[in-house]
Amino acid sequence: MARPGWAPIGIALLLLSLAAAVLLRPAEDGLLQLANPRGERVAEVEQLFDSLPTDRALVLVGMDPDLGTYPEIRPATRAAFDDLLRRGARLAFVSYSAEGRAIAAAEMRRLLDDGALPGAVLDLGFVSGSEAGMVRSVTEILPSAAEGPLSEAIRAGGGGMTAFSLGVVVGGTEMNARSWVEQVGTRVPELPLLAIGPTFLQPELQPYLRSGQLAGLLATARDDAGYVAAVVDADPRVGPSVLEQPPSAAALLIGMLLALVVILVSLLRRTPDSGVAATDR
Amino acid sequence: MSGFAGDAPLDLAATWIAAAVTLVVLAYLFGERRLFRHAQHLLAGLATGYLVVIAMREVLVPRLIEPLATDPGGNVLLWAAAALVMALAAARWLPRSVVALPVAVLIAGTAAFALGGAVAGTLLPQLAASVLPADAPLIDLANGVLAMVITALVLVSFLHGIPRGRLVGGAAGVGRLLVLGGIGGWLGFLIVSRLVLLVDRLSFLINDWLRVSG
Repeated sequence: MARPGWAPIGIALLLLSLAAAVLLRPAEDGLLQLANPRGERVAEVEQLFDSLPTDRALVLVGMDPDLGTYPEIRPATRAAFDDLLRRGARLAFVSYSAEGRAIAAAEMRRLLDDGALPGAVLDLGFVSGSEAGMVRSVTEILPSAAEGPLSEAIRAGGGGMTAFSLGVVVGGTEMNARSWVEQVGTRVPELPLLAIGPTFLQPELQPYLRSGQLAGLLATARDDAGYVAAVVDADPRVGPSVLEQPPSAAALLIGMLLALVVILVSLLRRTPDSGVAATDR
Repeated sequence: MSGFAGDAPLDLAATWIAAAVTLVVLAYLFGERRLFRHAQHLLAGLATGYLVVIAMREVLVPRLIEPLATDPGGNVLLWAAAALVMALAAARWLPRSVVALPVAVLIAGTAAFALGGAVAGTLLPQLAASVLPADAPLIDLANGVLAMVITALVLVSFLHGIPRGRLVGGAAGVGRLLVLGGIGGWLGFLIVSRLVLLVDRLSFLINDWLRVSG
């Protein structure tokens, strides 16, 4: 496979440098905005959180994002955790995928480092068996060795998913809110589910929101940015030190130009007779 | 800042290693494939090692080995599970008929949960949600009719191996275009996701590694 010529490499380098330069600008410069001015999804999420019991609500976090898509939903996920902890909720993390388990462990450590009360966060660990494991968790989610007030509260609620007031599903390509709707939603219909997923899952998850099987959905960069802004607006003390800023819209735009250049170069290098890229032969 | 790594020496080392590997992967864009291949091998090796650790620490030891060691007669099903696990682990040396049993249990269980969930959790509720009441707003009725027409055209495009007249052939052609349009739309969503990853990696290099803006 031949190396690409210097011209496309130069353009790609230039655009990458431009994207990097844009990232150096302060976020509040407002070069371009991602936040969704309509905020329907954001209002749904806030309404859902407002409906939680005010006395230390138990929230189950199904943490199954994958490393390839988590950076996109990380700001909204962290904003949701922060929002829930600020409202006095207690979070119990469970994972059904190995990648999700790694990210859950890192996020729990970050929450505790950031000052979350140890009694407000519980690690339910990794459950093997994918959807079969999820079904078992419906009635038995607590590890036998689990101790502490949060574990006792779950045990008092039956030891399964019925003990929780809300399920927050942070999904990726392997396990996402569809599995939760199909396996948990049919068995524990009284547990409202909020889904946070990458943009490409939006067409798959949107019908569940319309049918009422999901109580909330954050699955586009615009909705995520709108939600992060709403959380920061609600409590200015919570800012960039705790919450991560959403990705820069200007850098995304330059990234799109970069993608277009790559596509154009690829098209120009195709030979008219075979339709196979010259570099691939 | 991604917030994953702090200022401890181990965190700093992790950040430097991640930055180096990120640069190696980005170098693929400029034609450097040898180092990129090493990075792929590194990822595959680390992922496999991590899976082994997870399987041992969070599944096999606490849920199988420990319960069997502390109370061998407590749960007979665990012995059956242990036998199935061992049959899978030793599949290379066992007769095919013996290995077929755990594989069949695995595949049948997965398929049963997936199929049951798809029917009870997706197909039936989505069918119910798409049925509109007689007094539904006109826009909803129009949406429903449009969805029905598009679904029918796409289904017609999958008719293969039967004689098709001009009308059905034309409908199949439109259905194929609709499928392409759908795939194009989905790829649009996908590219936005991937661009966010590119921006995140650049942000990692600038903020977490070089700490230029923070």
